[in-house]
Amino acid sequence: MDMGAGVSSVGRRLAPDGGKLALALVVLILVYQVVIPLLMVVWTSLKVERPGEAGFFDLSFSLANYTRAFGSRDFWQATWNTLYFALASTALSFGLGTFLAWVVHRTNTPFARLIGVITLGRIIIPGILITVSWILLASPSIGVLNNALEAVTGIKRMLNVYSFWGMVWVHSLEITPLAYLLLSAALQSMDPRLEEASSVAGAGHWSTLRRISLPLILPAVGAAVMLLLIYTLETFEVPLLLGGRARVRVYTTEIYFNTARTPTDWGLSGAYSIAILILCAVCLAVYFRLVRHGERYQTVTGKDFRPRRIDLGRWRYVTCTLSLLLVFLITGLPFLVMLYASLLRRYQPPSVEVFQSMTLSNYHEILRDPVYSLDPMWNSTLVGLGSATAVMVLVSVMSYFVHKTRMRGRKLIDFLGFAPIAMPSVVLGTAFLWFYLLVPLPVLGTLTIICLAYVTRYMAVALRFVSTSMLQIHSELEEAAAVAGGGWWRNFRSIYLPLLRPGLMAGWFWVMVHAYRELTIALMLARSRNRTASVVIYDLWENGSFPQLSAFGVLIFALLIFLVFLGQTIGKRFGVQEQV
Amino acid sequence: MKQVIACLKLVVIAGVMLALNPSGFLYAAAAQSPERLFAELAKLKPEQRERRLEEGSRKEGKLNFIHTFRGKLARGHVRLFEKRYPFVKVEMADMGSQDAAERFIAEETAGRHLTDTISLAIPDMPVILNQNLVAKYPTPATRRVPKQFQGFLDKQNQWVPWYWSEHGISYNTNLIPPDKAPKSWQDLCNPAYKGQVSFDPPETRFMVGLYVMMGDEKFQAWLKCMGENQPIIQRGHTQRMNLMLSGDHAVQGDNFLYVGAQEKKKDPKTPYAIVYSAPILAYAGAMIINKNTQNPHAAALFSDWTLSEESQKYVADEFRGPLVGKHPYLPDTIEVVTFGYLSEEVVDRLHNYWKQHIGKKK
Repeated sequence: MDMGAGVSSVGRRLAPDGGKLALALVVLILVYQVVIPLLMVVWTSLKVERPGEAGFFDLSFSLANYTRAFGSRDFWQATWNTLYFALASTALSFGLGTFLAWVVHRTNTPFARLIGVITLGRIIIPGILITVSWILLASPSIGVLNNALEAVTGIKRMLNVYSFWGMVWVHSLEITPLAYLLLSAALQSMDPRLEEASSVAGAGHWSTLRRISLPLILPAVGAAVMLLLIYTLETFEVPLLLGGRARVRVYTTEIYFNTARTPTDWGLSGAYSIAILILCAVCLAVYFRLVRHGERYQTVTGKDFRPRRIDLGRWRYVTCTLSLLLVFLITGLPFLVMLYASLLRRYQPPSVEVFQSMTLSNYHEILRDPVYSLDPMWNSTLVGLGSATAVMVLVSVMSYFVHKTRMRGRKLIDFLGFAPIAMPSVVLGTAFLWFYLLVPLPVLGTLTIICLAYVTRYMAVALRFVSTSMLQIHSELEEAAAVAGGGWWRNFRSIYLPLLRPGLMAGWFWVMVHAYRELTIALMLARSRNRTASVVIYDLWENGSFPQLSAFGVLIFALLIFLVFLGQTIGKRFGVQEQV
Repeated sequence: MKQVIACLKLVVIAGVMLALNPSGFLYAAAAQSPERLFAELAKLKPEQRERRLEEGSRKEGKLNFIHTFRGKLARGHVRLFEKRYPFVKVEMADMGSQDAAERFIAEETAGRHLTDTISLAIPDMPVILNQNLVAKYPTPATRRVPKQFQGFLDKQNQWVPWYWSEHGISYNTNLIPPDKAPKSWQDLCNPAYKGQVSFDPPETRFMVGLYVMMGDEKFQAWLKCMGENQPIIQRGHTQRMNLMLSGDHAVQGDNFLYVGAQEKKKDPKTPYAIVYSAPILAYAGAMIINKNTQNPHAAALFSDWTLSEESQKYVADEFRGPLVGKHPYLPDTIEVVTFGYLSEEVVDRLHNYWKQHIGKKK
């Protein structure tokens, strides 16, 4: 089959007029936002000298950092743990996310919309709070669930969150919404006629799902599995808070323990980053191989369609119960723990006495100083909205060139867009700090520098969101418009952008919430006037107690729910009804 | 001809430096050395010195400062200074000691002298001292430091210590009655506390403190017996303390003591007690002044102020360790082991000991 069958003839001519300009702009931004920080990481990894020391800018290189990084037995033991952890978490979260996306978007399960909203609500709660909530729920000594189970069964310490499987459980619930979002976008852009044809041919629901629906969303499946794997490889909170006590060290904690001493070992850190980058490149190559026949997934054509919901009959009550239970575990339970803790002076397991002593003092304390708490929330709102919008515009253009043209180097664009996922936040934050210290642009200490860093940080995930939707759009639509005489920009704006809405909205939501929550980069680039909400969370974490931190978490949750609601309302006004 | 080429080279280099970093280049040409100023100030009588500092600060009008107190704690501290010296506007960033050191080095290496002064834990100093970025600042303010803490002073006047942090043992009184509580660091090896004593992952400051107190051999032996007692290793001092107070485990083998003390003050029923019979390990937080500070008078004024009665009272009120005056919750009778920083070689060795005896992985 001709690999280029799904590529538009417009793309083949390399998009004249605005197209070339857009391409040049994309390349420029990629060089500025990705290639420069990447070069800094590569350079640092090959230097024995620290930045600032004599000889750092000399053209002499060494592999000493790589020998140190990969020469220890401990490192390879941690790598084995990491793979085991990543595979288990990916399998579980992918299963849960797919199930929820299918229930919400393709079945007539009652409360489907509510289930979707609660699933996404999980993303809003900061990761630290979720992990601590699960400690309070399933700690062998004080876990509320353990106490409840003991009361019912008489068996002590049934659950242990401080274990390998405890880590898998907490992390899987953390990343399930990502799988849900990616697959939701694909399921909504799927032409149901193929499934109808399958049904007419006598295939049952299960057979149609397995043989028609899932293969059709293969790019989304591939992207989801790849992202879940990579996210798990680089996850830090769960391994740090639970793994230390479970005595399970994974890749990120190994890196942390080997580089977190003063002074920071930038060379070693760079060597680890390059290893992750290579791993990501392998994942991306597998993904490209998986979706090499792009035309097979193009279900959005010039013919009108509306995704069909499957009538599950009585089974819809089963899916409803299961889904509600799942979202309760994913979002509801940790949120309730957070809410409960926010009303206490000091965290204590529930009892009548504790309920009687509940207070709003933590909220008063936080709101007493608006400059301390409200200004950073406003900053985060601006950073979240700004970086999410900028990232989505950028990746939608990138995705077009990658998937809808046959230009040389398109895979390089995809790789460069994906490469930042391999750069740990601390490395990326430092690269941006150094870059803007050397280049005299007036962005230090402003929200702009944080936004710029976030554009790079979240480009990789956003690109996958949009690419899965882009692959589903048939090029005949653009060809028809081109025949009618539309220019590149007009066609892109009036054809691709509207059809990309599910992916764009899902990606926008993902980036906005994560930009709101992100800590490491915000901390590194923070000065007196650009503190964000996550920096306050960190302050409370370092200085205060869990109850006050929980109160702030509840406030952020409320604010983000409002923002999402606002986004949804605006989206509807402009005809966007999909997602979030 | 060669001279012409050399001149051209100079022009090009100057042009590039100016393009990349105008403020740093201009500064190098124009500013007076802060160290020379500090040396001159040291010759003045206290009142003259104070007046000169205030006059200079008034002209400078601002101070760029990195605080290693965090959030409200840092803001409250700086507000007090601004109230006392309203003509100095403090631009403050707050972050951990290590991040502060890294940022400072990055700025200075790039020739951007954006930070005037930093509060840094003394154990985190070597990285900055090695790069010769700190101004020598002799000040009469350090005369207020009592004998007990004079070990924190630097003979070369590279820093001004102004508070101290404590590492000590504490326990949950609901889980362990006082008569059965550990009395010393060695007691933590008692099998009665197996699996009940928590630590952060290897922490240089804590290990250096223990090493200074015990010496190499005893430190190794202690780590070995501690490792056999299956300690809980969990990141996050505050979180560990909160978990212990919630009944998750019984003993904090190493933690800052103020978190529990503050909780106890808020709620006297908090099941918390400090083991006063075991020595407390103490390191100081200190002010350093950038060798290339743009606001040397304000930097000096702030550094001196940190040891003032006003600042020290604030430290005590917030349950941190003041260098001058009474500690808010620790009795005077306790044994305090003070320490600073050790060589990188020793620190590496301590980490290896930890890895060998406690950091065994599955």
